[in-house]
Amino acid sequence: MSAVGIVSLTAAKAAPLLLASLGGLLSESSGVINFALEGMMLIGAFMAVWVAHASGSPWIGLAGGLLGGMAIGFLHSVVSLKFRANQIVSSIALNLLAAGVAGMLLNEVFGVYGTSPSVAGLPTTNQALASVFSKIGIAGEPEVPLIGGMSVLIPLAVLLGLAVMAFIAWSTTGLHIRACGENPHAARAAGLPVTGIRFLAVVAGGGLAGLGGAFLSIGELSQFVERMTHGRGYLAIAALILGRWRPAGVLAAVLVFGFGQALSEWLAVRWTYLPDQVFLVFPYAVCLSVLVVRIGSKRPPSALGRL
Amino acid sequence: MNKAGLGRRIEGSIESLSGLVPALVFGFLMCALLAVLAGVAPVDLATTVWTGAWGSPDAAATTLSKTTPLLLTGLAVSLAYQTNLLNIGCEGQLTLGALASSAFAVAAAPLPGLVLIPLTMLVGAGAGAAWAYPAVWLKQQRGVHEVISTLLMNYMAIYLCEYLVLGPLGDGTAMGRTPEIPTGAVWPFLWRHGAVGVTAAPFLALLLCIGVHLWLSRTCWGYEIRAVGSSTTSSRAAGIPVDRWQTRLFVLSGALAGLAGALEVATVHHRFYRTFSPGYGFDGITAAFVVNASPGWLWLSGLFLASLRAADKWLQLSLQVTPNAIVIIQAVLLISVACQARFRSAWQFMLTRFKEVRSGYR
Repeated sequence: MSAVGIVSLTAAKAAPLLLASLGGLLSESSGVINFALEGMMLIGAFMAVWVAHASGSPWIGLAGGLLGGMAIGFLHSVVSLKFRANQIVSSIALNLLAAGVAGMLLNEVFGVYGTSPSVAGLPTTNQALASVFSKIGIAGEPEVPLIGGMSVLIPLAVLLGLAVMAFIAWSTTGLHIRACGENPHAARAAGLPVTGIRFLAVVAGGGLAGLGGAFLSIGELSQFVERMTHGRGYLAIAALILGRWRPAGVLAAVLVFGFGQALSEWLAVRWTYLPDQVFLVFPYAVCLSVLVVRIGSKRPPSALGRL
Repeated sequence: MNKAGLGRRIEGSIESLSGLVPALVFGFLMCALLAVLAGVAPVDLATTVWTGAWGSPDAAATTLSKTTPLLLTGLAVSLAYQTNLLNIGCEGQLTLGALASSAFAVAAAPLPGLVLIPLTMLVGAGAGAAWAYPAVWLKQQRGVHEVISTLLMNYMAIYLCEYLVLGPLGDGTAMGRTPEIPTGAVWPFLWRHGAVGVTAAPFLALLLCIGVHLWLSRTCWGYEIRAVGSSTTSSRAAGIPVDRWQTRLFVLSGALAGLAGALEVATVHHRFYRTFSPGYGFDGITAAFVVNASPGWLWLSGLFLASLRAADKWLQLSLQVTPNAIVIIQAVLLISVACQARFRSAWQFMLTRFKEVRSGYR
């Protein structure tokens, strides 16, 4: 792998984090704490493999991942909005639930422990473009620089991410969502259905995080591995904190964390005289040390965690 | 205490339980429903857990020994939660405490048992405390939520211990374990039955829980801590050093988790090995929250979770229920306990209606 390889590897590592942290941003902008991203990603990863296995198509599997994440988002919003639960406790319980359910279903559906059998993964960017080209009748083999040989989900994640960022920052609905997170009473007085908006924001955020999980299982690999998210959901929340709950900041933070993960994989094959654990621990160490740095001053949404 | 005071106390405790108890009943009903959906009769589940955990003297001794880490990690989570901090880093703190204490016990083998045992415990607790402190610093100085930092530090602790036990602190084999600790550092059995037995550890953990309960409910410091827990802003206005209490309790919480690891080494495994904790740190969260983070009731949740943990092989063998089911049960209970405010308001609504009806208002 060349030094250019590290750029594409960064993209591959940052893409699932970007999806998950934008999911978290949607939910937290509306004022609902969402530490359940880990569980949403895990269920998304599992559902993607399950549905891809059952249907035979990784694209339908991707939709399965979306629905899996949305299901956890639905539970989180019902528990925290309807039943007024402590949102942090609810999130942690849902992460536990996701780990248990994914492990149990893995055993029930595939009859195995730990790792699922391989399913059809999503095509690479070049392959996907080639099939599109042949459908619309353009001759020639497309060659995308850097990420051409990597999963098609990377460009899709970037496009989706930019769309979500624009939606939160510039659209009227995005403004409504942020209003619910800053001052729900004022928003309610202005005639906004605060609970409904928060509900939709959490469920949609769950869907995004589920897509991020699906990226891990049918984009990067083509199977589900128990606990395969490895704290990425929490890294995504760390990206929210580092990015100060602003879309552009979140994007930058996600790139930093993605670079950390990519660098550790890149170094792991070069500096083989160092023990494996150094590289395994590197992404988390990068995340924590970056959080020590004080950048900017934007605070979290004022009404975060309050109904 | 006069009669009116007693009545008020009873009414108060009914009110504080009026959310938790229905929530737990609801949670257990949901678990039963899930069991039925999975094709297992809930009665079978309960009897298997009971016989698996308490059916024979051996089983009971094993279950009691599993209670120790659960009580301590549960106490760790409850203690930090008194000041509104959630320590989900017990897993890492426990692992690090276990490794530090076993390495210390091996290195300090010549010391007599009477000195070695307390020192080993102190080293374990110190390692856990040291691993907890950065999280509270990040919280206070940089506004990083402690749930995030402690979780990331879990991964770091586990990889750090894995490296140390495969390298410098290992016993030279490729097994990924430390040498066995000297017999002077091992806690003797108070009561034994064949190869298994009960040490003083579960009772020590129970005493710690009761001690913390009394500390919180009967002392001036405990009052300050509970004030911080109910409102940081008004405590700050009243001159209570909020940040200092949060730091102290969080570090103490880490120390308890580290102590759990040290006790696990000194009473059960007698060494540290890779994948040391089967999730005791996360079980501590459940143990704490199903009794509303009140240390006086931890024995109940600790025994319950230890029974589940001890019976997991039985569940697998006789009912083909995977250990993942235990995680699901915990999650369902946690979720329903988190919803207790709703149950409490329903109870209060019924109570007011009842009082209205009784006083003749229709």
